[in-house]
Amino acid sequence: MTDSLEAIGITVRYGGNVAVDGIDVAVPAGRMVGMVGANGAGKSTLINAIAGWSRGTPVVRGEVRLAGQKMDGLPPHRRAERGLVLVPEGKGIFAELTVMENLALVRPPADTRGRHAFSMDDIFTLFPRLAERRGHKGRMLSGGERQMVAVSRALRAAPAVLLLDEPSAGLAPRLVHELLTTMRGLVDRGLSLLLVEQNARATLELVDELYLLERGKVVAREAASDMKDDPRILEAYLGNLTA
Amino acid sequence: MMARLSAPLALALAALAYFIPAVSGGAPVVYAACTTIAILAVMAYGADLILSYLGEVSLGHTIFWATGGYAASMLAVNYGWNGWATAAAAIVAAVVLACVLGLVTLRTREFVFSLVTYAAAVVAMEVAFNWSFLGGSDGIVGVPPLVLTIFGWGVSGAANTDLWPIAWLLLMATLLFIHRFRRSRLGTSALMVQMNPDLATALGVDARRVRLAVFVTSAPISALAGWLYAYQRAYVGPDMFESYFLVLMLTAIVIIGRRLLLGPLIGTALIIVQQTFFSIGGDGDKIILGAVLAAILLLWPKGLIGLWDVAARRLRSSA
Amino acid sequence: MNLTQQVINGLVLGSGYALVAIGWTVLLGAARLVNFAHGQLYMLAAFLAWAAMQKLGVSYFVAVPLSVLALGLLGVALQGMMQRLVMQQNLTSLMIVTLGFGYVIQGSAARIFGGDPQTFASPLEKASVHLGELWFTWQDVVTLVGTLLLFGVLWLVLNRTRLGALVRSVAEDPKLAQLFGINAAQVYIGVFVFECAAVALGAGLVAPRSPILASMGFDEVILTFVVVVLGGIGSVGGSLLAGFGLGMFTALFGALVSPAYTTAAAFLVLLTVLVVRPGGLAAR
Repeated sequence: MTDSLEAIGITVRYGGNVAVDGIDVAVPAGRMVGMVGANGAGKSTLINAIAGWSRGTPVVRGEVRLAGQKMDGLPPHRRAERGLVLVPEGKGIFAELTVMENLALVRPPADTRGRHAFSMDDIFTLFPRLAERRGHKGRMLSGGERQMVAVSRALRAAPAVLLLDEPSAGLAPRLVHELLTTMRGLVDRGLSLLLVEQNARATLELVDELYLLERGKVVAREAASDMKDDPRILEAYLGNLTA
Repeated sequence: MMARLSAPLALALAALAYFIPAVSGGAPVVYAACTTIAILAVMAYGADLILSYLGEVSLGHTIFWATGGYAASMLAVNYGWNGWATAAAAIVAAVVLACVLGLVTLRTREFVFSLVTYAAAVVAMEVAFNWSFLGGSDGIVGVPPLVLTIFGWGVSGAANTDLWPIAWLLLMATLLFIHRFRRSRLGTSALMVQMNPDLATALGVDARRVRLAVFVTSAPISALAGWLYAYQRAYVGPDMFESYFLVLMLTAIVIIGRRLLLGPLIGTALIIVQQTFFSIGGDGDKIILGAVLAAILLLWPKGLIGLWDVAARRLRSSA
Repeated sequence: MNLTQQVINGLVLGSGYALVAIGWTVLLGAARLVNFAHGQLYMLAAFLAWAAMQKLGVSYFVAVPLSVLALGLLGVALQGMMQRLVMQQNLTSLMIVTLGFGYVIQGSAARIFGGDPQTFASPLEKASVHLGELWFTWQDVVTLVGTLLLFGVLWLVLNRTRLGALVRSVAEDPKLAQLFGINAAQVYIGVFVFECAAVALGAGLVAPRSPILASMGFDEVILTFVVVVLGGIGSVGGSLLAGFGLGMFTALFGALVSPAYTTAAAFLVLLTVLVVRPGGLAAR
């Protein structure tokens, strides 16, 4: 199977600190890859580096390929244009813009080969709640609604690979389950997805493959089905995370 | 690097500096240039406290500069006060004005702070220009020679050769003060407020108080420069508010690099040497000054010292 | 004193303040960039239009659009130079850089156009309207109507179009905008070009009221900054209101108290507001 996304030897430095240390990640087409680890393990830094984005000024090394095309060196808006779309952790939408304005900011590409286009109708079918809230400003929305807008915005960009950074942060467990199940549904229809999560147990249920990160390095990488059957791994790596 | 300069070496350098005009031929134009450099550098050090250590841009330091000049000339011309008295008055007036402006702008930050200080300078100029008490548009002419005596020994005079020792002394005192300030509690708190306001608050530093204190501390420095400038020119007018002095202060501070003890002095010296000996006309000099200011920040935001760092790193990596 | 006449004067003055300020308001809101060369750009625009009339012999109605175009192009060049600092949002350095630009523009203008005051004449300035005791010129009418139109169109564009949403998104969070596929750098250039073109239009309509001088810089437009801060940083409607309010204030203060101290008085009003509401009147 071909890999939609390939990141090789990603290293991220902040000042003198190495936050991510030579990590390789591959997301096969139509698969959902999860990445879990404790706070500060470098998950967000890694996924941001893959998108070429950061709020700070990190120094990033390594290669990123999207369907074989080189992405490293491109600014984040160029990567988004080519289908490498990130939903960042925390604030993912504009508070001063309405739901419709947020979604309309994105220009869907003319050429959607190898990508997954979503019309506005598709979006409102996925998240009926947003149709009701379309005229409301971002700051009037609940946390769950904001996350829906953030994900919808990414889908409007017709992603080839979707990068999702901790969508569950600050959401009620029921909403997390709903959102992640919706995402799994999209993967089953062909979308490639890289999911960074703190909530390891929920992630394990849904992903095809799981990476465990610790202090900027991958310490385990296995098919999710194998991890499920391996209580020692669960114990060793996940017990403390879900406690 | 600067911090490791030992006291004897600093003293030796200071003494050497005193003889620069004499060694350079002792022509009146050299004395004039050196005196002007010393005065304008002291003016720049006032603004330097704000820009380098608070990280804010005060565009109102021409007010304090002019306050010093007006205090000296008015009291010397109208009441015949001697140099010590006019200097004390300049300091007091600047501190009072700085308290008022500092309190008003206490809650403003970044560009609003800069805008308000700038507008304050424009308004101060308008007041000076229209108020006959301050001499109006003509300013105050006929400032008598400066008389400064202590225990019978002293200096008096109006020529640059007479004023140079005082300008030199003022500059050295300012440098010593800035050096002390950098190590003082206030100086370190100011840097902390600039670099990491959250940490500063967590450590119990009241950011507003620090900002006000630094602002008020900086004002008399620029005022004393204006005080001496009044005696050097024997005339004070609304032109002391002109943006020339503002642009000069800022350029002098950023050209070498912020937070360097000798930065503003070297910067001022470069500018005045260009304008005195390599001038291409008043408007041309304006273009040079403005272009240098913009170019430095656009190309080497850390100042020329940043270039030095780059060169040093290249040398080290190639060695 | 005729109160109605003073109200008319206030409206005319106020529309001028608002018009000269609008580019800056948008720039501040979208890029958080304080342009201290604003006054020199105003001066340059007035001189370019004047020079076009004198040297090329074109009419006022051609000269003003030409100067708007020229300033727009200058805007591209200036923003191009500042791009790196704007993207880093290094606001302190940017303020000082624009101060340097202003100084360069001032020195260059003095070299090119000379140091003497010039008359930048608009034919509309000579065509006046008398209604009983009231008096105003067609230039006043055009300035007032033009300002209202420009503000109306600008409001619609900012609040009702995708382009406006683009500008507002970059204003709120330029980093996040990148993830939406937006090139923030382009938006910054667009906004800066608008600022330069708008101040040129303002100069075209307002500058003919008095002789123009190469040394008139920020002081000439100092009141626009009162408008910008009073109206609330980046608020288009707020600037219009603040512009008219300030126009009324200066007209009445000038007529009733003292014309020499109007700027100082307007500034005192601003200081009072800032002490009470540091974010300006329109701040939430």
